Amino acid sequence: MSGNVRFDFMHFMPYVHLPENQKDYKSLWVDFPNKYYDPQKGHALYQRYLAELIFADKVGFDAVVVNEHHNTSYSMMAAPSLVAAAIIPQIKNAKICVWGTPPNLEYPNRLAEEYAMLDVMSEGRLEVAFPLGTGMEYWANPINPATARERHRESIDIILQAWTQDGPTTYYGDFYTYRYLNPWPRPYQKPHPPCYIVGTGSPETVELAAKLGFGYSSVFVTKQRALELNQNLRRLAAEHGHHIRPEQLPLQVITYVAETKEKAEEEAIEHIRFFFEDALRTTPTFLAPPGYLSVAELKKRAALADKLHGAFNFDNINESFFVAVGTADQVVEQLEEWGARVGTNHFNILGAIGNMPHWKVVKNLTYLGQDVIPRMRARAASERRVAAE
Amino acid sequence: MARPDPLAGFERQTHTINGVKTAVLTAGRGEPLVFFHGAGTWHGFNFARPWAEKYRVIIPFHPGFGESGDDPGLSDMHDYVMHYLDLFDALGVDKLRLVGFSLGGWLAAKFAMEHGRRVERLVLVGPAGLRGKTRPTGDVLSLPPEQIPALLVSNFDVIKPYLPEGPDLDFMGDRYREGGTLARLLWEHPYDKKLSRYLHRLTMPTLLVWGEDDRLIPAAQAEIWRSFIPKADIQIFKGAGHLVLDEKREAVDAVQRFLS
Repeated sequence: MSGNVRFDFMHFMPYVHLPENQKDYKSLWVDFPNKYYDPQKGHALYQRYLAELIFADKVGFDAVVVNEHHNTSYSMMAAPSLVAAAIIPQIKNAKICVWGTPPNLEYPNRLAEEYAMLDVMSEGRLEVAFPLGTGMEYWANPINPATARERHRESIDIILQAWTQDGPTTYYGDFYTYRYLNPWPRPYQKPHPPCYIVGTGSPETVELAAKLGFGYSSVFVTKQRALELNQNLRRLAAEHGHHIRPEQLPLQVITYVAETKEKAEEEAIEHIRFFFEDALRTTPTFLAPPGYLSVAELKKRAALADKLHGAFNFDNINESFFVAVGTADQVVEQLEEWGARVGTNHFNILGAIGNMPHWKVVKNLTYLGQDVIPRMRARAASERRVAAE
Repeated sequence: MARPDPLAGFERQTHTINGVKTAVLTAGRGEPLVFFHGAGTWHGFNFARPWAEKYRVIIPFHPGFGESGDDPGLSDMHDYVMHYLDLFDALGVDKLRLVGFSLGGWLAAKFAMEHGRRVERLVLVGPAGLRGKTRPTGDVLSLPPEQIPALLVSNFDVIKPYLPEGPDLDFMGDRYREGGTLARLLWEHPYDKKLSRYLHRLTMPTLLVWGEDDRLIPAAQAEIWRSFIPKADIQIFKGAGHLVLDEKREAVDAVQRFLS
């Protein structure tokens, strides 16, 4: 593994107080009735989750990650920039990753402004990602899923123009017309904050990241797919004249550390189960609104959907996805092996898993901060010294 | 058991119209009778064969549906009207009798209001296109695809032979493709809020055909259409749903009588 090891802590901020009859609902996304949201409990959860993000900074994580979803108990971050704004004054070192608002769900100039504000407020610690948005977001927002990919590309084009060219400029596109593209403020970092595409490895998103030279933040990809994805991205990016660095390929890993392997599994598995069986539970129709996927991709995913959304078997999940549950030693070994295999030194840690209680999150982050992160940094540093000699 | 060929009895032709492969089914000889299909082509066109006894029946697949190719550049109903101007030129069709079902009914109405002199007689079968505030059109885009077929008929046995018996990836993919084409056209508004403003331009004799038990587009919308169209008759068939032509031979015959 080369370069600095990087650890991010990603939070989904789930609403965990589900009704007893929640299993009666085929989906906890899109049409799961919002009468089940209790704002008083929601307030307590926000207090707790914000504290966990701040704690991750204190124990030595390099970055904290937030993202956006709508109409779901899965996430209370309909507007992740608000969460970023709330934690910026309280986070001293870590980067703030808003990975992110789907540009299709906001006016591009406004998103360029919002992110520039966060970048200036954080003194240049912002990183952003441009997700297409899950299929579910297109049922919740008035945007056409059949033209989502074209709109997505145009939105990113506008945002990059707003950040890299002195305004005012004009933009006459298929979806948006700007007579005066001239956002204030401008980003703190030059030319702009580090950017990623977010996705599950569809050919279209990989190609887009390659073309733009962006990083690729993969979500819920299988081990096999992660490898192919990173290889394809490096190859395609090279064709576009970009060199993809390992740190541009964050690997999402569900991670839990405890004293022993048994204890770690005992403490974590029920929450991993909740995460896959409940939090992610939705329907094929919500996952793939009409026109959102190519027909070929739809057929490919039809098989995977059962595995990811709704049915749970820890061994299957463990085998298919990146899940590191064990002692600090075991987790270090696991992460190093996976990092080497897919070619990254950047780990995006899902350390607040599903409906995990606060004490487990704190315990997990503490172990990670004390035993995993420093050890991996030290080992990477000694490898670099060896390589330099 | 193999599913029946939903295109049996028709000759197939292929034309390239503005770069998009356009498949056309034809049968019979005589004056041209063009049928515009709805948003799902899986149940085929067997119902249309009696019309071929008197007419040159022409059933084009709309781009993005059935055997025609995809053209993402066609993004609204008017683009399809323009597509058909080109196709009719290629087919040598000038004046025509036009029958449109569901989405195809909306398209037929739009074609006829813009090119009324070419359309001698117009039949709209359970046409989509109106919002129908008090008798709203069902939003087919928001329905899980597996629930749609049963919703379309009064008697499920009529369409059962055209459906796969179990999970079928190809069938699923075909429906997803047609749904995607529909989304490109209609996701923002599954109706045309300006349609009623121009329906008075349908000055040709017009027949509105509906299945009484239509659960997608209520038969009560027939009266809304008639209130805007100068010369429109209504025929409603009992014991039929949205797919009234598939379910009721009487409806097919009524169309034939009206066109003659």
